[in-house]
Amino acid sequence: MTQVEKKESAGAGPVLPTPGKPRSRVRYAVPAIVTLFLALLPLARPLIGQPYNYVLQLGIAGLMWVAMASSWNLIGGFTGYISLGHNVFFGIGGYTAGMLLIYVGLSPFVTAPLAGLVAVAFGFLVGLVTLRTRGPSFIISTIALLLMTGLVFDNWDLVGGSNGLSLPLPPFPVESVKIPFYYAMLIIAIGSVYLGYRVAHSKFGLALRAIAQDETKAEVAGIDTRRIKIAAFSLSAFFVGAAGAIWGYSLSYLRPTIFFIIGVAAQMVLMVIIGGRGTVAGPAVGAVLLVTLNEVAVSQFGSSELNIVVTGVILLVVLLFFPLGVVGTLRDRGHLPGFLDWD
Amino acid sequence: MSHLIQVIILGLLLGGVYALMASGLTLMFGVMRIVNLAHGAFIIAACYVAFFLFRDLGWDPFVSLAVTMPLFFLLGMGVYRALFPRIEGSPRFGEMTVLLTFALALIVEGLLSYVFTGTFRSTDPSYATDAVRIGDFFIPTAQFYSSITSVVLLVALWAFLYFTRTGYAVRATMQNRTAAQIVGVNVRRVSTLSFGIGMALAGASGSLISFLFPFFPARHWQWIAILLALIVLGGLGSLKGAVVGALLLAVAAGVVSDRFGPTWSPMTFFGALFLILLIRPQGLFGHKARVG
Repeated sequence: MTQVEKKESAGAGPVLPTPGKPRSRVRYAVPAIVTLFLALLPLARPLIGQPYNYVLQLGIAGLMWVAMASSWNLIGGFTGYISLGHNVFFGIGGYTAGMLLIYVGLSPFVTAPLAGLVAVAFGFLVGLVTLRTRGPSFIISTIALLLMTGLVFDNWDLVGGSNGLSLPLPPFPVESVKIPFYYAMLIIAIGSVYLGYRVAHSKFGLALRAIAQDETKAEVAGIDTRRIKIAAFSLSAFFVGAAGAIWGYSLSYLRPTIFFIIGVAAQMVLMVIIGGRGTVAGPAVGAVLLVTLNEVAVSQFGSSELNIVVTGVILLVVLLFFPLGVVGTLRDRGHLPGFLDWD
Repeated sequence: MSHLIQVIILGLLLGGVYALMASGLTLMFGVMRIVNLAHGAFIIAACYVAFFLFRDLGWDPFVSLAVTMPLFFLLGMGVYRALFPRIEGSPRFGEMTVLLTFALALIVEGLLSYVFTGTFRSTDPSYATDAVRIGDFFIPTAQFYSSITSVVLLVALWAFLYFTRTGYAVRATMQNRTAAQIVGVNVRRVSTLSFGIGMALAGASGSLISFLFPFFPARHWQWIAILLALIVLGGLGSLKGAVVGALLLAVAAGVVSDRFGPTWSPMTFFGALFLILLIRPQGLFGHKARVG
């Protein structure tokens, strides 16, 4: 076991190349171009014109969801442990950074990694208890965790209870206030996708997949499943917590109903399942698809409760007819373009 | 002391209703290994049926049982047939059921919110605030009647499972699905029926809690979390466990609510869940091999 982890921390190279397909240069070119495009986007103010702030806000939300979905995929996709309370880490990150801003005066841009670490620590403690079980009991415990945490934050005076907290406004000129948030989310999103890639191509990731396929056999094969699961669970909290820190600051107020509602977890689950569970590119694809769809739906039909219905219907249809998601289904049929094939 | 006894009496009365709500859920898990996250959403849907029967037709919530139970029985059989045979034999069946019923819960919640808005509602029959005084203790009439009704329904469920041929088949399927199939049980039929019964119990619970707890569509998450916590405590799939878990936790929640305020009473269920996972992950009456 120690050997596995040493190798992981030393950065083991890819151990699971997709067989049969030559790796083309396009494969690297497309993500590089996308990253470059995203990095340069805020500089294109004259080109974008009027909807500049709208575009950046959409970018912030989209990148946040990429990070959330990719992180959830570590435990929900690779390991096969569905967490319906993962937004707890989102809230913990948001509140940690918010409290540090109010009481210590540290900017969330500085404390976001710390917020991520607090989420990791919390995930570790929770994982110690909840990962003693498998299957349904684990899922149930994550729902309980979410409601429990929501209840505490709703009634805890220090963090403002259900009214929440107002944060001091960011010290940037109004017309370019979105730019720092955008870049922070971009870093978080890239970090989480890269983390997913590294995990997928490590022995650690192999152990996670083994657990997903048959935990008992994995255990017999000498994998310390409990430790590995707890590691995956806490690791998956990091970027969610960091994203919470930046998101809360960008809204300039924190309220339990922003973070601790099951709808947030539903989105994470849905994005990963639509994109393809347990794949590297799937969560990002799912996040982009769903954010786009949601934006179109809201602008066309307005925001209403029907959005929840649509979320549910899409989840149902995907589960019944395309359980492998976009990336998985395309791969299954041999049509997966190289630039989406990172497993 | 007498105050504590009063709290315990109230807890036991509510516990009966919790047991009824949880029994459907644990039956579904026991027979089909389905964790039905939509159970709470269907209970709330039944609350709305009871509410409109009460408000528009003047039907007493207890009378509305005659509508909610058959209605949700049929709905349940339809839902089972539409969704679950498709995923039978899937290698991750348990997980699939959770995700499917999660989707179902979102759909039901969204539709209820869209049609009925998020307003708090509740049926208020004349006896809703009455109480009977026995010695030093008060017995609230509404809680008393609904508890009695729950017990009657639970006894009926027990009698069905233990004294009818179909009931034997259901229990055989709970014990060992494959073996039941081998000895000639039509497992598909039994599963459809059990899902229907589970949903009928959800329907009945909806009628009963419509005047005990004010409801709005999103409320179902709290209910499902509480119900799941207590069936994990009792042991997933164990009916006895569900009843014992419900009574224990309802009393505990009553005491917590009395001490720290009603806000914190749901905490009892979640705290108990984490405690049981620490001490005995398979639950009070669960079997180790059947967990997972």
